[in-house]
Amino acid sequence: MNHAANPASQFQHGLLPVTTADEQSRLEFVKSLKFHLAAKVSPGNRAAFEVDAGPAFARANGQPPQDYKEVAKAMGRHPYFLFWSALQRNSQEMMWKAAQLPVQRQLNRLIERARTTPGEAGSLRLNPDLETPRYQTLVDIHCMPGGYHTDFAADDVANGAVYDRAVYVYAMGRMGPLNSDIGDSTIAYLKQHYPDLGPRRILDLGCSVGHSTLPYVDAYPGAQVFAIDVAAPMLRYAHARAESLGKAVHFSQQNAEHTDFEAGSFDLIVSHILVHETSHGAIRNIMKEAHRLLRPGGIVIHAETPPYRALGAFDGFMLDWDTRNNNEPYWTASHELDPVALAEEAGFGGACAFEGNQPSAFDSDEAKRTKLFQAGDFGGAGLWYLWGAQKKAAH
Amino acid sequence: MDMLDTSIGLQQNAKGQRPQYFDDPSVEKVLAITMALAGEFSVMRDRLDSLERLLEAGVTVTREALDGYVPDERARSDRDAWRSTFLDVLLRVVQQDRAAMKQRIYGDG
Repeated sequence: MNHAANPASQFQHGLLPVTTADEQSRLEFVKSLKFHLAAKVSPGNRAAFEVDAGPAFARANGQPPQDYKEVAKAMGRHPYFLFWSALQRNSQEMMWKAAQLPVQRQLNRLIERARTTPGEAGSLRLNPDLETPRYQTLVDIHCMPGGYHTDFAADDVANGAVYDRAVYVYAMGRMGPLNSDIGDSTIAYLKQHYPDLGPRRILDLGCSVGHSTLPYVDAYPGAQVFAIDVAAPMLRYAHARAESLGKAVHFSQQNAEHTDFEAGSFDLIVSHILVHETSHGAIRNIMKEAHRLLRPGGIVIHAETPPYRALGAFDGFMLDWDTRNNNEPYWTASHELDPVALAEEAGFGGACAFEGNQPSAFDSDEAKRTKLFQAGDFGGAGLWYLWGAQKKAAH
Repeated sequence: MDMLDTSIGLQQNAKGQRPQYFDDPSVEKVLAITMALAGEFSVMRDRLDSLERLLEAGVTVTREALDGYVPDERARSDRDAWRSTFLDVLLRVVQQDRAAMKQRIYGDG
């Protein structure tokens, strides 16, 4: 299939809801608003910190804020920060509404299209008895009404379709026409650091609609690609999307903490912006499960935004916005994880842990990058943080 | 174009407590309504732009033609530029705060 997509617009694959001119305009406005907030309003927070909040904190405490938590104490109720936050929150709510409207209009047809998708290349295996973990149901993550998991109809794909469109708007197009940048960037890292890995079986954890999954099909020809998620509406959509794009992926509804795959059956296990949507207990279980599933010499790798220790106190504070303001309860703690400790605990051994930064693979217009890790601007920095562990080779 | 199919209701609001940014909860609502209006105004402006471009191209304008209009690269970039100016005008008062703070950092120069 020809993927010569226009880099300036989302690729119209077989499952992406068709938009009318007005629906597209509504989405474009949200995209412009988000870019305006990131480029022209959000930077004022730093000014507010330097002019007002920082000096006031220093006067009261004898020294300037030392970490992101102290910046939060200094900045949390600053009027400029609050107004920007209110605008940012609104942009998020407007995004979901704008993405929902075209889905609502054609939902019956989307469901039918997904239901009648033949498993020609890959496959779909659902498990209606799978319990959705509490960290997915406590709040609707990143304010998407219904979260990943809610079915609004039999064989529903609604939130898969909503998510697919919204991710493109949220990233302001800077993750590419197929929203594949995090997968592409992770692959670039793997090819550079582990050129001889040659994976034959790859597993993507928490794949949602498969944005980051599909690049592995092309990057490692001959490898079998598996992808799991707890949410059925995502998987139904992901399967139909992958088939419409001619990519062979075997999707199944499973919790990454405990899967039904055989021990030692994977060479490469990947996840993309999964970790921050789990929990303290879950990420430990996921690392243990990855250790069980990997063959000796195999690799588990997670892509995220950088940990707060890698950022200045102010930048850490700004990146932490999503925790309270965008329904991301595990965001803060997930940005304080220690790969060495996790690898040690999971059985890899701390020495087998790795971490690094990888420039974004999508060649975005430089002018559209803000080069900042900041709330509401996930793809803006043009850099992804990768961490993981390699299972010791057999002796 | 399909009519809005409401046979399946999607959830309208996200589960989880919505943060309160202002002392008066009414202000939250007024801001949300204002921003939604700005969005719909932009939708209308795009529709007017489509209408003008169809007329310029000598196309018979129908609602179907407007609903199905897909802007080319030039039209898209013109619209991006219009929205950027529109947002500068809309959020002028916020920009004003930022400019005042920057002035306190860098002085008049």
